[in-house]
Amino acid sequence: MSNPLQAAYYADDAQQVDAKITENRLLARETFLVRLVAPEIASRVVPGQFVMIRIHGLDDPLIGRALAVYDVHSGAAGEPEAIDLVYIRKGKLTRYLAGAAVGSVVTVWGPLGNGFAPDPCEHLIMVAGGIGQTPFVAVAKEALGHQRFGQRQTGWAKRVSLVYGARSADLLAGLDDFAAAGVDLQLCTDDGTRGRKALVPTVLEEVLQQSLQNTSAAAIRVLCCGPEIMMEKASEVAAACGVRCEVSMETPMACGIGICFSCVAKVRQSDGDWDYKRTCVEGPVFPAEKLCWE
Amino acid sequence: MASLSVSLNRLQLKNPILVASGTFGYAREMEGIVDCARLGGILPKTITAEPREGNAPWRTVEVSAGLLNSIGLDNDGVDAFIAHHLPYLSQVETAIIVSVAGRTEAEYVALSQRIGECQGVAAVELNLSCPNVSGGVDFGTDAEACRRVVAAARAACPVPILAKLTPNVTRITEVAAAAADGGADAVCLINTLLGMAVDWRQQRPLLGNVMGGLSGPAIKPVALRCVHQVRCATDVPIIGIGGIATIDDVMEFLVAGASAVQIGTANYYDPQVSTRLIDQLPGALAELRADSVEQVVGSLQLPR
Repeated sequence: MSNPLQAAYYADDAQQVDAKITENRLLARETFLVRLVAPEIASRVVPGQFVMIRIHGLDDPLIGRALAVYDVHSGAAGEPEAIDLVYIRKGKLTRYLAGAAVGSVVTVWGPLGNGFAPDPCEHLIMVAGGIGQTPFVAVAKEALGHQRFGQRQTGWAKRVSLVYGARSADLLAGLDDFAAAGVDLQLCTDDGTRGRKALVPTVLEEVLQQSLQNTSAAAIRVLCCGPEIMMEKASEVAAACGVRCEVSMETPMACGIGICFSCVAKVRQSDGDWDYKRTCVEGPVFPAEKLCWE
Repeated sequence: MASLSVSLNRLQLKNPILVASGTFGYAREMEGIVDCARLGGILPKTITAEPREGNAPWRTVEVSAGLLNSIGLDNDGVDAFIAHHLPYLSQVETAIIVSVAGRTEAEYVALSQRIGECQGVAAVELNLSCPNVSGGVDFGTDAEACRRVVAAARAACPVPILAKLTPNVTRITEVAAAAADGGADAVCLINTLLGMAVDWRQQRPLLGNVMGGLSGPAIKPVALRCVHQVRCATDVPIIGIGGIATIDDVMEFLVAGASAVQIGTANYYDPQVSTRLIDQLPGALAELRADSVEQVVGSLQLPR
């Protein structure tokens, strides 16, 4: 049956598995990386997709959490075997997860949502705030041709920059991974403890202006993930420069697979009006101009 | 192998494990993850006469062992349901029980008739109890209004009628008896309990709609109590709903008097739960030396 939901996507690739933790380590202040053995998910996931994770058998916390896939790790045979997730220890589930021992098992289902499209460009500018950097290691590795995800093409960007802001230096997580991938890092912090003491949209504007000196606007792409206010301002900066911009929404989800209708965002329709759309199945990545910011 | 089939007046189900309205989308979403044809029945998300955009976010908030929701019957209306969702649903080889909600008795009747006349619909569930939609009569809290709407829907609808009731009443037995009197083939107990969550630092409610319905394991004892009270008060078949996530939960509801159960919130946090429960059911029946589900329904022994 073709498309009875009038939604472009379903979670048809998703698998529900009980996955063993093989690594669970601190990356930055209150920020952890957990590695889960889940070949069914690792072989399918593409950059910008997410999984739902839940502590097996517990009623409290009850509901799964949506976490972006940070990276895919291959086994000895070179086949995708495990997924890495990066999370901040903040609520009930992440506090529990941070204390979970290597060898213990969590329930995960995914891959979910639509990733960032691998559309070729000269200069890819990734824009992250807070914990919003988590999808971008995989994006950079794919875009620069270091790693294949799923069946997708690689090497679709000539240059990749990351504009990344956090409250302070000790919250910046994964900088080594970005540097190893060959990403140009443009850091900023609210307190000036690392990089510029500036807001992310300000730094983006400068990076864009510099890029536009030798690259046409049509050959630049901006991808955003982070607080909505940051994404709104960043998308305004991109629009003013005539540069294509996509944003990854993080609205509260209960299921991740399109059945609960919790995670809605106001999305512009072709008739000019808006409708609530589920970010789990119709996003989380949207063209910035389609969103009605609240 | 024990017989898993159950009869609820005019409605026959191949097994007693159904999935609750609003917790399984329109089934197509689950195709990749659940073998839907194995289910005893599917209740797609409630439909209304006109499209509804639903409530402002946040629409769900997790609480201890439960979930508060205020989705607001977000749906594209009956025309879109029949055009886009029913063709898919009707080819799934299980009972499709369509949940409908109206603001007036006439709306319930018109929706029940229209849906009931569609090919591939096994029954209609009247959602008499959605706590998140204002306006209209609250048919779930007024026994006489409940009886009238069920009777009118039954007269107009060629397939069995189920009445889904709210626990947010003083005496659920009276509303259930009224639904039975109106001709409901079964009553579905319970919808969510009205609740609320507050962010004291921001000094605001967490749900966009302020209040919402509580579901999940937290409400199971309330649901069991309602099933038990209604079982004692009337003969109408009962479909139990409320926090069911394990085979023990299923058996508790059957013993307390439910002929079947609907899995709700657990579909969100354990998408494959329903078919796993079907796999586990024969073993649990064997523990009671029962040859059929119907042997254990209402087998609760009360203290003398």
